[in-house]
Amino acid sequence: MSRLDRRAAPITAGVIALLCALPPFLSSSWLLVMFLSFVWLVITANYDVLDGFLGHVNLGQGAFFGLGAYVATILLNVPSVQQLGALAPLLVTACALVVAALFAAVMAFPLFRLKGLYFAIGTLILIFLLQVLALNLTTLTGGSYGLYIPPSFFMSTFVGYYLALFLAAVSVGLNAYLSRSRLGLAFRCIKEDEAAAGSIGLDLMKYKTAALVVASLPTAAAGVLFALNSGFIDPGIALGVERSLLPPLMALLGGTGTALGPVFGTAIIRALETVFFHYLRLPVPSALFFGLTLLAVALLIPEGLLRSPRVKRLRAFRVLAS
Amino acid sequence: MARAIELAISGLSLGGIYALVAFAMSLTISTTRILNVAHGVFFVWGGAFFVILSQRLGLHPVASIAILVALFFAFALLFQWFIVRPLLGRSVHLLLVGSILATFGLAQSMESALGYGWVTWVDPYPVFASSLVLFPVSLGGVSLAGSRLVILAFVLLMVTGFHLFLQKTFMGKGARAMAQNFDGFVVIGLNPYRLSMILFSLAIVATAISGAFYVLAVPLNPYEGLPLTLKAFTVVVLAGVGNLPATLVAGAVLGTAEVITSQFFGTVWAPAVSLTLLFLVLVVRPTGLFGKGVY
Repeated sequence: MSRLDRRAAPITAGVIALLCALPPFLSSSWLLVMFLSFVWLVITANYDVLDGFLGHVNLGQGAFFGLGAYVATILLNVPSVQQLGALAPLLVTACALVVAALFAAVMAFPLFRLKGLYFAIGTLILIFLLQVLALNLTTLTGGSYGLYIPPSFFMSTFVGYYLALFLAAVSVGLNAYLSRSRLGLAFRCIKEDEAAAGSIGLDLMKYKTAALVVASLPTAAAGVLFALNSGFIDPGIALGVERSLLPPLMALLGGTGTALGPVFGTAIIRALETVFFHYLRLPVPSALFFGLTLLAVALLIPEGLLRSPRVKRLRAFRVLAS
Repeated sequence: MARAIELAISGLSLGGIYALVAFAMSLTISTTRILNVAHGVFFVWGGAFFVILSQRLGLHPVASIAILVALFFAFALLFQWFIVRPLLGRSVHLLLVGSILATFGLAQSMESALGYGWVTWVDPYPVFASSLVLFPVSLGGVSLAGSRLVILAFVLLMVTGFHLFLQKTFMGKGARAMAQNFDGFVVIGLNPYRLSMILFSLAIVATAISGAFYVLAVPLNPYEGLPLTLKAFTVVVLAGVGNLPATLVAGAVLGTAEVITSQFFGTVWAPAVSLTLLFLVLVVRPTGLFGKGVY
């Protein structure tokens, strides 16, 4: 444990304790905002496993989210699953995780043949393909009308808050583990130079597949939580393109390849989003300003807050950027 | 038989437009490595402005096209100055992520601005369709919409233009050099900023005018830009980046495949065609069906 680690541990514990104590003081709409922010944080942190550590821009992270949401919702509409009562949510979560992991493992083979721009587009197609399937396999998914979750399985936002907080902590913890473990070192080796990593004996395909599968699991679980809480999903909600494109933005804003980069990025974007879409009664559509914000972030902070030289000079941030 | 010919013509004109838009995109990707997600949105804006100019303001179609060229040239200059220029100097990974995010942001704000502006000031019904009636042609039982033929003629003209630009002019040779070796291009003292300005102007203006011609035959709506970018990218990947003849073939293949799918399986499955094609080609031959770019 390095000196920085020893200082970071109590801060992290303090922040998590604070977040655990928060719900009783929040209004129901703020509770929902926080719940959704945790869900976004899970996707963003998982996205960063591939981008920050493995150097692959994965625009298909939202596909795992949608897959988790759809598998859970479809299964909860099966009568024999409903008879399990309290066990049913656990069962469907397990199924959703298995399906997402299988999907990731199967897709890893074709996807990792691609590099750079082509990998990005190849992964982006996944979410569009799933969208087309969800829209057109109407007997299974309800098509554009979407699917409802039976009311007895609704999850309150209060419970969802803690579960999503737990998932987010696990995801951020995973990235922190990667930033200081052998496995993470192997990932970063591959990011820096694939040919060199391969020539010193790293099994590239094994590590890449492992990264994709590991990154798919919390995201799929977050999809299940989201579906259970909202009670309704359709292709636009569960498989919208922004599920794939906002996480890269959040990770990039915070700084990729750092454990806390996604946390800062998600917090800033979610704050902006909440202000733009709920508080400012603008005469013109919020999406316009939101788009311009994305543009400005991408142009002005190329390497992300925690990696930007100006921020790194501040002492307090050196602890965070470890 | 007559039905088959009609399908072929409409598939070809649709595919020709895809090919043109895709080639404009491929020209910028291969040279600057910037993936412009807003490319399809420029197409939709072109269509919308054409409808405004030629119908709401009652200008002659040719005059409308001339105004469109000037307007989108100005757009392209702004785009180059504020987005392309800062991105060009970045390392490969940052350039890729930065270009996707910046242009996605631009695409989103352009889309919502157009959707909102159209509904507020032009028409509460957000569909851009031209009511321009062009001579219908009837040949031995095959009836053809004149608009389809105009589109085909436009595509042929533009493709010839692109071909001559790339093969005969100094700038075109520069573009080929930049695509083959970016560092070498800079080392021998050529200016990538200036060339990228010219290439992006060409690409954006060509795309916007394609949009104007497209609405002659098929109506557009404000939110079709992003799916269109993906379609253009399908064609680029099918053909291999920067391969003009192959881009034409790939565009025609995609257009015809979509028309046939809509005909036999219903229009809902048409988007799946390009996605599945794109995925398969990416996985089987990441450099495109026809090999790497030669122009």
